[in-house]
Amino acid sequence: MNVSSILSASEPLTESLPVVELRHVSIAFDGPPVLEDISFTVAPGETRILLGPAGVGKSVLLKLIIGLLRPDRGHVLLFGDDISEFSEEELFSLRARSGMVFQEGALFDSLTVRDNVAYQLIQNPAIPDEEIDRRVREALSFVGLEKTFSLYPASLSGGMRRRVAIARALINNPELILYDSPTGGLDPVTSATIMELVMKARDVHRTPSLLVTHRLQDAFTLCTHRFDPAGNTMAPLPQGETDPATTFLMLEEGRLIFDGSLHNLLHTDYKFVREFLE
Amino acid sequence: MAFNRIDRTARQIVLTVQDYWLFARQALLNLFRPPIYWTDFLLQSDIIGVGSATIVLLSGFFTGCVLALQSASTLAAFGATAVTGQFVSKSMIMELGPVLTGIMVSGRNASSMASELGSMVVTEQIDAMRALGVDPLRKLVTPRIFASVVMLLFLTIISDACGILGGAAVTVYLNHQNGTQYFHMAYERLRYPDIIQGLVKPLFFGYILSSVGCFYGMRTSGGTQGVGRSTISAVVSASVLIIFVDFLITHVLLTLFG
Repeated sequence: MNVSSILSASEPLTESLPVVELRHVSIAFDGPPVLEDISFTVAPGETRILLGPAGVGKSVLLKLIIGLLRPDRGHVLLFGDDISEFSEEELFSLRARSGMVFQEGALFDSLTVRDNVAYQLIQNPAIPDEEIDRRVREALSFVGLEKTFSLYPASLSGGMRRRVAIARALINNPELILYDSPTGGLDPVTSATIMELVMKARDVHRTPSLLVTHRLQDAFTLCTHRFDPAGNTMAPLPQGETDPATTFLMLEEGRLIFDGSLHNLLHTDYKFVREFLE
Repeated sequence: MAFNRIDRTARQIVLTVQDYWLFARQALLNLFRPPIYWTDFLLQSDIIGVGSATIVLLSGFFTGCVLALQSASTLAAFGATAVTGQFVSKSMIMELGPVLTGIMVSGRNASSMASELGSMVVTEQIDAMRALGVDPLRKLVTPRIFASVVMLLFLTIISDACGILGGAAVTVYLNHQNGTQYFHMAYERLRYPDIIQGLVKPLFFGYILSSVGCFYGMRTSGGTQGVGRSTISAVVSASVLIIFVDFLITHVLLTLFG
């Protein structure tokens, strides 16, 4: 199967407007292109897993999507707006509608967990403190960290920091969540906890998301499991079934070489993908 | 090869100056458009103003002492030790108070701004702030600049006062001269243009030290090593720029007021 046939394997999940759309996006930093001619979409309710080895431009791609970086060529559409030419000021309101979980959490050291999670809400003076506290507790309860309310990030473990970062990304009920390697550098048990939260956000809120990872196990878990609200844990889907709203993208040296379902990913004969999977 | 390098370096310098100008201008303009983060302004005023008070007080006092010592021995050769007060007060108010305070506060705060913001950049906290819909320039830079300008003015007044007191201490206790005469000369010979000069300078110096500190912090790259480089660049550039701008302001004000 050649690259073009792999790319065409992807079918739009829904007829409605994509939450994110990249059209022939390229970017370089004083050297060869980091990303070249990238095109794909994220549909409402869809979860896309972006795979690729370290250094292929996965994090750069996420930053392009919410306008933290600007493409040299091509167009980035967020919530239907072409943000490629938006000013920083115009971008703030759009970004506020999305949530991003950074690689190391990127929590503000000088603020408590409460203030970190409530950061967006605090900026709005119309929201009373009681309301903020209630929503922070709710978000922290979602990630199972109610007791960290008054702590500072420095006193949290790596896994806890990521969970607080997820709570911060979710508190404003975002219309899109971007996860930048949320399990990177964590032990398997903590990684499983984080993936369970990602799954919970996907299955409970049905929020469209884009998850960057180089860990296949995490990607496959997300595709082959669902969140069980009754047991408050993740449960495997029946043998052979995968979550239809969870699909894959793969980067190789700045180019998108795969866009499709888990089934297509596992059965592709594209050399780089096979090597990555093996 | 050498020409290429010179060309590249020159272009780099011009680009840096252009970036700094745009950055500093935008940070200043943010003062006139909401939202203005008053809480952050007060917090920074405390850190910059109250935090720097001790070093400014001590440096001002001892500078006044040294001025009195040095000037007394020189003036004695002309039988003019009586004008020590005038010499110390004019030197402190017009020149040494603003410049020394600017450099001391720059050493303490431009470095702290560069390292704090630089650490936030390398740990993606600045990106996180932007992703959360908050403008880091408004939230972090503008309050620091505003607080530095306001606080440096008051710190300079404290430094001037301490310098004149230091000069008085040396004049009375070491040079055994008349204290009343010292203060009389210190006050009598001061003109309004001298005071204006002394109070205009800290406004510029406060703006320079904070905008340079924040500028280097916000453009940090290269991890923790980069934070160190930014801190050094911030202090060196701010100190040199303060002395250079001091020369310009002095020249302009002397031309204006004579």
